[in-house]
Amino acid sequence: MIYVDNVTKEFKKVVKESGLKGSISSLFCRTYQTVRAVDDISFHVPKGEILGFIGANGAGKSTTIKMLTGILTPTSGKVKINGQVPYKNRKKYVQEIGVVFGQRTQLWWDLPLTETFSVLQQIYQVEEQEFQKRMAFLNQVLELEEFIKSPVRTLSLGQRMRADLAASMIHNPKVLFLDEPTIGLDVAVKNNIRKAITEINQQEQTTIILTTHDLNDIESLCKRIVMIDKGKIMYDGSLTEMKSKFGKYREVNFSLEQEAEFEKLSFAADFQVEKEDIKVNRSKEKITVTFHAGKISVQSMLSYLLKRVQIKDISVNDVNIEEIVCRMYGKEVTGA
Amino acid sequence: MRKFFRIYQSFTKAGVENAMAYRTSFLCFALGESLYCFVMYFIWKAIFLSSGDSSFLGFSMTDMTVYVFLSNLVGFLISTDSTDNLAEEIHDGSIIMRMIKPVNIDYSILAFELGNKVMVITCIFLPVMVGVEIYRYVTLGYVAFQLGNFLLFVVSVIFSYLLSFYLNLIFGYLAFFLLNIWGFSILKSSIINFFSGALIPLAFFPGAVRLVFEQLPFASLVYVPTMIYMGKYTGEELAFALGKQIFWLLAFVGISRFIWSLAQKRLAVQGG
Ligand SMILES: Nc1ncnc2c1ncn2[C@@H]1O[C@H](COP(=O)(O)OP(=O)(O)OP(=O)(O)O)[C@@H](O)[C@H]1O
Ligand SMILES: [Mg+2]
Repeated sequence: MIYVDNVTKEFKKVVKESGLKGSISSLFCRTYQTVRAVDDISFHVPKGEILGFIGANGAGKSTTIKMLTGILTPTSGKVKINGQVPYKNRKKYVQEIGVVFGQRTQLWWDLPLTETFSVLQQIYQVEEQEFQKRMAFLNQVLELEEFIKSPVRTLSLGQRMRADLAASMIHNPKVLFLDEPTIGLDVAVKNNIRKAITEINQQEQTTIILTTHDLNDIESLCKRIVMIDKGKIMYDGSLTEMKSKFGKYREVNFSLEQEAEFEKLSFAADFQVEKEDIKVNRSKEKITVTFHAGKISVQSMLSYLLKRVQIKDISVNDVNIEEIVCRMYGKEVTGA
Repeated sequence: MRKFFRIYQSFTKAGVENAMAYRTSFLCFALGESLYCFVMYFIWKAIFLSSGDSSFLGFSMTDMTVYVFLSNLVGFLISTDSTDNLAEEIHDGSIIMRMIKPVNIDYSILAFELGNKVMVITCIFLPVMVGVEIYRYVTLGYVAFQLGNFLLFVVSVIFSYLLSFYLNLIFGYLAFFLLNIWGFSILKSSIINFFSGALIPLAFFPGAVRLVFEQLPFASLVYVPTMIYMGKYTGEELAFALGKQIFWLLAFVGISRFIWSLAQKRLAVQGG
């Protein structure tokens, strides 16, 4: 379905020297600097899969999406989606894809939502009957009804995002590209959007690539993730595998009856492990101790704590992937 | 073809709705334009009065008045925001929202703008034209309006608008390479105003200069439709004028397509 082979994208940036002298000299001779935003990435996505694309800010996610949607031409490498090369015959290619850039809108700012939808219906040549069916479905999942008559500029961010998502699905695309579709949304709207994505994926076997900084999106939507950093792929595989590979950590959360006793503890020394195998995090009330479950058993950790400090609440959890990802970005993962 | 119209007609419809949403600022703008017309009218009237002649290089006072109002009207009809809008879209990266749709960039902008023109035609063009005809009837004593000239005028205005549109589009696409179009935009409008006869009728320039100016596309924009409306062109002259417009139009469309294909290759869309 989606083939990305050895794709690289470089941007040329004008380097401005500082000061007046720099400004003047840059008028005559500009020096360019090449930024490699995406560096030799390859991955394949089969039909019907939801792929989560994650990475820190500036990792190259949006740049990749722009290449896959035919907006940017790769500096080198091959992209083939649906049997087509995105940037070759743009008009034909985009007929079969849907795109959401969470930070922008494809809706007409000053027109009511319904107008945008009817324009889209014409653009994509959606049959009236099919269109009605589709609208009814999107209406039901994304709850558009309450604001469908208002001009887009008056919509809240969450409403706009739901509308944008609907707009990207109106023509029943084979592939959906969602660049941060949940950015800035509250939990309820996020859930709404996730539900819509799941349903469209299940009903129509739509292949979906989604980037996000919200790892809950990933946990609830994607079986597979690709993580990139500084333009390079760092991990490509299933979410569960990543968790078991990098997630040998557990965390105990608790709050204290008495502060003083806790201060005296020194975990690393008592358990005779390296510093990075155990970490203590304190927020106001709650204390979180994250530890490597391969080196310290949960049981010994609990009995250690219960013996030495008076504890109010206690719970043991798997480390969430946020933590894993953080560790991977920081490249301090030792459990691999 | 039906499909083509179905697609782009939806843009035009959206354009009308959009113009309706901004009707107040639109009317203010129209008011400003008409004030400008009257200022020009009084200036020319003063010139005629001081010269003492009833005709100035083949233009009577009535001709001059009609020219002032009509040329401004044409200028208004063929004006286009495509440079600014496109440059803006390129600058803030929202051009990508156009690129992910299965439509031509130029047609979609054009069709949307036509929606705005529908407003201009009904709210400004028709009333002013009726006004001009009443004025001609009162000063000349007979009906000067000729349907044939009017229809040719319509054709010529459409060409002019498309020319102006594609000229602007070319400047807009340059934003892909410059990413800052502001100074360019000013330069562009001064060039067009000067060469097109919107500032001074081309007939008033000395022979050789005028000849060159008249071959350039800018001359076609305002001058040709206005002269056609006034019945100053006939026969061969008329065919030549229209032919020239078609020639430049094809050239401009070609150039804009070429620049777009270049731009697409080295496109750097800004913003995450
Ligand atoms: N038009 C451009 N010109 C120059 N450099 C660019 C351009 N677009 C992106 N970059 C650079 O490419 C790199 C990757 O950017 P990209 O927008 O793909 O990141 P991202 O992974 O989407 O980040 P975020 O999570 O912040 O959205 C960044 O270092 C950015 O500065
Ligand atoms: Mg991004």
